[in-house]
Amino acid sequence: MGKTVIDAHNISKIYDKDKIPVYAIQDVHLHIEAGEFTAIVGPSGSGKSTLLNIIGGLDSPSYGNVILDGTDITALSENELINFRLNNIGFVFQAFNLVPVLTSKENISFVMLLQKKSKEERNKRAEDLLIEVGLKDKMDSRPGELSGGQQQRVGVARALASRPKIILADEPTANLDSVSAANLLDLMLKLNKEENMTFIFSTHDQRVIDKARRVVTLVDGKITSDVTR
Amino acid sequence: MLITIAWRNIWRNKRRTLITSGSVFFAIILAVIMRSSTDGVYEGMIENVVSFSSGYIQVHQKGYWEERSIENAMKINTNLLSKFEKQEGVSKCTARLESFALASGNGKTKGMAFIGIEPAKEQMLNGLANKISKGRYLMSENDNGIVLGEGLANYFKIKPGDSLVLISQGYHAASAAAIFPVRGILSLGSPQLNDNLAYISLHQAQQFLSADSLCTSVSFYLSNVKKLDPVANSLRSAFSNLPIEVMTWKEMMPEMDQFITADKSGHLIIIGILYLVISFGLYGTVLMMTYERRHEFGILVSIGMKKSKLITLVFFETMFVAFFGALLGMITSFGIILYFVFYPIRFSGKLKEVYVQFGIEPVINMSLSSNIFYYQALIIFLLALAVTIYPSFKIFKLKPVEAMRS
Ligand SMILES: Nc1ncnc2c1ncn2[C@@H]1O[C@H](COP(=O)(O)OP(=O)(O)OP(=O)(O)O)[C@@H](O)[C@H]1O
Ligand SMILES: [Mg+2]
Repeated sequence: MGKTVIDAHNISKIYDKDKIPVYAIQDVHLHIEAGEFTAIVGPSGSGKSTLLNIIGGLDSPSYGNVILDGTDITALSENELINFRLNNIGFVFQAFNLVPVLTSKENISFVMLLQKKSKEERNKRAEDLLIEVGLKDKMDSRPGELSGGQQQRVGVARALASRPKIILADEPTANLDSVSAANLLDLMLKLNKEENMTFIFSTHDQRVIDKARRVVTLVDGKITSDVTR
Repeated sequence: MLITIAWRNIWRNKRRTLITSGSVFFAIILAVIMRSSTDGVYEGMIENVVSFSSGYIQVHQKGYWEERSIENAMKINTNLLSKFEKQEGVSKCTARLESFALASGNGKTKGMAFIGIEPAKEQMLNGLANKISKGRYLMSENDNGIVLGEGLANYFKIKPGDSLVLISQGYHAASAAAIFPVRGILSLGSPQLNDNLAYISLHQAQQFLSADSLCTSVSFYLSNVKKLDPVANSLRSAFSNLPIEVMTWKEMMPEMDQFITADKSGHLIIIGILYLVISFGLYGTVLMMTYERRHEFGILVSIGMKKSKLITLVFFETMFVAFFGALLGMITSFGIILYFVFYPIRFSGKLKEVYVQFGIEPVINMSLSSNIFYYQALIIFLLALAVTIYPSFKIFKLKPVEAMRS
């Protein structure tokens, strides 16, 4: 397959709950290559969010390190990490991803503004992406005027805008009805195929799991199975 | 874009923003009008009292101020006067010889003060001639007439063309009595002066009091009124070899200075409380604005927005809320003040008496000094800055994962 994008070594996250240590994740090894489309699944509290947050540099592991495209992100300072996230990782969260006072197009443009891209490039790419996610006619709508599914599509478009190495999505379909959920997954699959974008997402939803090519199962913070279909 | 976001953000909760900037709006209007009216009243008061009586700085023979008698007059000549005028910060100075006299005319008698002046210089300095309401001003040093305040003229029921007899005691107890034709009536700003003061020429006064080449004071006018103390000090050191005393109007009229200072600090306290109240309002709004957006801030930091940028955004929002009210407040109060500059408020009744007692014209003259506006803008800016300190600290400590869980 392609080259390595993520190499998570032996990572553990321990919360000191009233002096009795809780392992949110324990000794996890995860290796992801460019172009993969991976679902992290498992029961509630199994550590899916914790794992994704650590891979994305939003949280730091208690032990172990994460190498993302050759950079050990566990060694970066806070500002270096923010900058690294800006240029290398796209995030889609469960809900309320967008800045409510900005239109779809402005939300997407904003990320590229943080990257100091030119106005022409920002406008062009924001429009292209919105067309790509099927929201050509919602460019100037604010998030409040969009349905949950449409908001998540804009979220995916924004995640792509910075041309990241990888997109991390923690339960992106959790707040969507099944049709919207399926549509969002199809969109992600399409982008995965057409743009060779690497996706890692967590989910509970069996119909969503069925669309993934690789499924990593977590139970009690440990990987119990890792299947590529 | 940060500015656009900030501007749109403050309108997310229209009512809250309107209430907050509304409070700034009213506070600004109150503060500006209060400062403007006090400054205006004091400017007028100082102008009236200081320029028509003492001048900003006076030089006398040492001891004159303690015992204001003609016996303590100082020798003056044109040479010394021009040396005074060459001092840094001095625009002009003029010698005066003042004393008291018993005046009688039309069968009535009254004690009053008179000042021997250099008519042309006095006119240049305080436009005394422009205050003439009837008759004319003194023509020259050799004019042997007298001009007197309206109050005095009314008391004696005399008009230009009549004459007034003055009886006084001259230098070294020489007797002094002379008759002065009335040339004009003055309408002086301060009622106290209006009722008690008359002017004759310096030369006539010297003759009348047998006080050849003597004066009781040299009054100084400054090129910049704010440099009062520095100029006084440089005069003191430059002429330390002469037996003279240098006094500022604040030293000569401490009651007036104290009254102004006390009144001003009273107003400062009121304005201070006003600002305290609006800064709490502003603080509450900013705190709410940041607190209810923790989730959004978490997302923004996650996707790569630096915290310093986020703090800048919050600062812009605070500025917008504050200055939206402040700007409208300044424009409105500018309008109000402008109106009262053209149509000043005149007091009547009890309030008028109080003002008259302090030698102030019973009129509120508003000051349109741009300083007042700069000052308010600066205060609002500093308040906005202070109010964002704690939210900034919160943002600085924000952990995206925790913020997004809220
Ligand atoms: N800040 C925290 N403090 C203490 N314990 C925590 C904290 N965050 C997570 N945990 C614990 O870590 C474990 C893993 O949580 P995590 O949120 O990663 O699970 P999850 O698989 O995403 O669950 P869900 O499907 O409900 O989202 C849980 O037992 C949780 O209680
Ligand atoms: Mg979770």
